[in-house]
Amino acid sequence: MKTITVTVNGSVYEESVPERMLLVDFLRDQLALTGTHVGCTYEGVCGACTVHLDGAAVKSCLLLAVQADGHAVTTIEGLAQGTALNPLQQAFATHHGLQCGYCTPGILMNMAEFLERNPAPSDDEIRHGLIGNLCRCTGYVHIVRAVSDAARVMRENAAEVQA
Amino acid sequence: MYPARIEEYVRPRSVAEALAAITRYEAGDAMFIAGGQSAMQAIKSRMLRPQCIVDLQDVSELIGVRQDGAGVTIGALTRYVDIAADSRLDGAFAALRDAAAHVGDRQVRNRGTIGGSVCWNYVAACMPTVVLGLGGSMNLHAADGTTRSVPADDFFLGPLETARRDDEILLGIAWPAAAPASGSAYRKWGLVQDALPVIGVCVNVTLDSKGHCGAARIALAGLAGGCQRATVGESALIGSTGDADAIDAAFDAIAAAADTHSDMSADADYRRQLIRSIGSDVAATAFARARAR
Repeated sequence: MKTITVTVNGSVYEESVPERMLLVDFLRDQLALTGTHVGCTYEGVCGACTVHLDGAAVKSCLLLAVQADGHAVTTIEGLAQGTALNPLQQAFATHHGLQCGYCTPGILMNMAEFLERNPAPSDDEIRHGLIGNLCRCTGYVHIVRAVSDAARVMRENAAEVQA
Repeated sequence: MYPARIEEYVRPRSVAEALAAITRYEAGDAMFIAGGQSAMQAIKSRMLRPQCIVDLQDVSELIGVRQDGAGVTIGALTRYVDIAADSRLDGAFAALRDAAAHVGDRQVRNRGTIGGSVCWNYVAACMPTVVLGLGGSMNLHAADGTTRSVPADDFFLGPLETARRDDEILLGIAWPAAAPASGSAYRKWGLVQDALPVIGVCVNVTLDSKGHCGAARIALAGLAGGCQRATVGESALIGSTGDADAIDAAFDAIAAAADTHSDMSADADYRRQLIRSIGSDVAATAFARARAR
């Protein structure tokens, strides 16, 4: 066992974990943050477990919890501002970007960081950005539309702040 | 899949600390982890069962691209995302960005490292092939303080095998400054976009003052023996201007000589066709980049 200190969604947690515990299990089982999903039996394939580690989208099944010691993690539970949905979350609702919703947390966390790096993406760039996230319900048409519209809303919000 | 039991996790802050940590265990019982995007899967599948993991994430001297008059060095812990975005890696080094921009997916590129990929040397992988095609040298530092530089031709020994010893750490990959008119390119084909290469081709050419190819290196990904040089095509390109006939002849020769295999992804004939079609395209790009210098 090893004691680690991790900041998750702004709160600091000091926890004792087995060395082999995966970050996704630490978040789900030890911190009870079950919004981060496991879709592919921890094979690093589906992207449902995507979280931000120091701001970068990563798959939390490909990291040990001990590797996050001293770092900041943001999960889907940290994406909204209180009860105000993040524009990506709102766009997924508006454009029917989810059906069963299982893959959605990982897609939102991946695309949130993607849009920080590329605020005005083309549809092709969005599709390329989504390669690491599998959705077996909707197909990707509505997801791409939602991400594109969220990017537009975020650009308009940023312009309003500047004005 | 869940990781096998791990007894100890250490996170050194320097190369010296990392080597001290790894040598406290019998060879093979402790392992370095860089980005861990392949290693963690191998640990979960029990292909690897390390007692101790030495996590290199805080060894800052291993991170970053350095370019000066003497050449280019890429630290072993430099992530794909940072290689793909580094506009200094153009011309002779552009293949590195071609490859890094299409490894896995963006979550993997945010975490995975060039050094991890090169030391893992998976049977079908982009970065070992590009490092071989560009003729990089691996800078290795051993626990006893000795250092050595191993050319790519001597480093990649076969799938999952390299010349790195267990008590050595890869500091980085180095190249001398590129000749003026030189260019490189890499592209792969996989079952889905950005998947592991069923076939990948890296071409690296240098032109003389009259626009003729004076030096060429070609490396293939996707063969059963791991990343390999395709010297028969290199000699076919030398002396040419990179015209379509010369390129086609080179890749016809490579495809004919390549020891391709059949598996669930592609049969042997299809792999040869991929070598011809991707190779011609990649070579044309490499020549165009060399001419633009």
